[in-house]
Amino acid sequence: MRTELFNAFIVAAGKVLGSETDVSVQRGSLELQRDAYVTDDITVLISVVGDIWGIVIISLSFDTAKALISQMLDQEISEFSELAQSGIGELGNVIVGQASTRLAEAGYNTDISVPTLIVGKGSTISTLDIDRLVVPLETKLGTVRINLALRQSQSEQVSRPRQVPSMQVAMPNNAP
Amino acid sequence: MNAKFLNPFIEAAFAVLEMEVGTTSIERGGLSLERSACTANDITVLITMVGQVQGIVLFGISEATATAIVTKILNQPFDEFDQLAQSGISELGNVITGQASQRLAEAGYEAKISPPTLIIGKGTLISTLDFERLLVPIKTELGELQIHLALRDRQVGSQVGQTILDEVVV
Repeated sequence: MRTELFNAFIVAAGKVLGSETDVSVQRGSLELQRDAYVTDDITVLISVVGDIWGIVIISLSFDTAKALISQMLDQEISEFSELAQSGIGELGNVIVGQASTRLAEAGYNTDISVPTLIVGKGSTISTLDIDRLVVPLETKLGTVRINLALRQSQSEQVSRPRQVPSMQVAMPNNAP
Repeated sequence: MNAKFLNPFIEAAFAVLEMEVGTTSIERGGLSLERSACTANDITVLITMVGQVQGIVLFGISEATATAIVTKILNQPFDEFDQLAQSGISELGNVITGQASQRLAEAGYEAKISPPTLIIGKGTLISTLDFERLLVPIKTELGELQIHLALRDRQVGSQVGQTILDEVVV
């Protein structure tokens, strides 16, 4: 996938995080990973469908989440309550939503799913045969990692898998 | 959550388990509506739907059952739940959701489905946030497949909740 498409997500994430929490955001070095992702305390999953296809995984620790939410809501959040959970889900939603708007401006139409929140460290999340680009965003409140497992739709078939999917099992992608 | 979204999934799950997996005994267990986060089984396949119907579909399954199912699908034994097995069980979720979405499209609910994401690790909490989940257990001789539907009608934007349990006839 082309770099500028990833950039839509990286820029959106940086801007949203910065403006919602009013702290400066620094981008750490990017990494491409093929192994399954191992969850941090909190993980937000949001799918992207359309001309760009895949999943955005946002991960952070409890401490970082609480600090971010406290800042966003301008009130001290001491436990990761339901309010904090929906706040983190919403943060992910706004980031991916803004990225989707940027992609539309570049001529790529996408829709995004509702967020799913995963709470618990050490589970494995596999995007199967899609590699992940890991983008660490560092703030004084902690690090938020954006994992982008996305690709461009190659054809109508890719973007519309409900056309009678057959039981074909993709071979694992072990290529170095 | 709306009752009309349920039957397409049950029909699709039955069809796929019978045709693709070759399950001989298959029945639906009692439905329940869950508002809290679900505690993950060994393996969870997550697929989202975006369109006239939107939300999240989760397939929860134990490793033993998943292994038994992929053994049937691929017609080869698995000693461990390796990458091929992971791919196989994700594809099962993909095909069931794909067929369900086709049935939904015929009923006027067009939706795109996301690629499957696989979550491995028991005990993790999976929350669909403000989407309540309808839990549909599908029992087979290979074990149980739990389908969680956290779906909404985009037009209506509301959830019908409890009514689904009264309306459902499979």
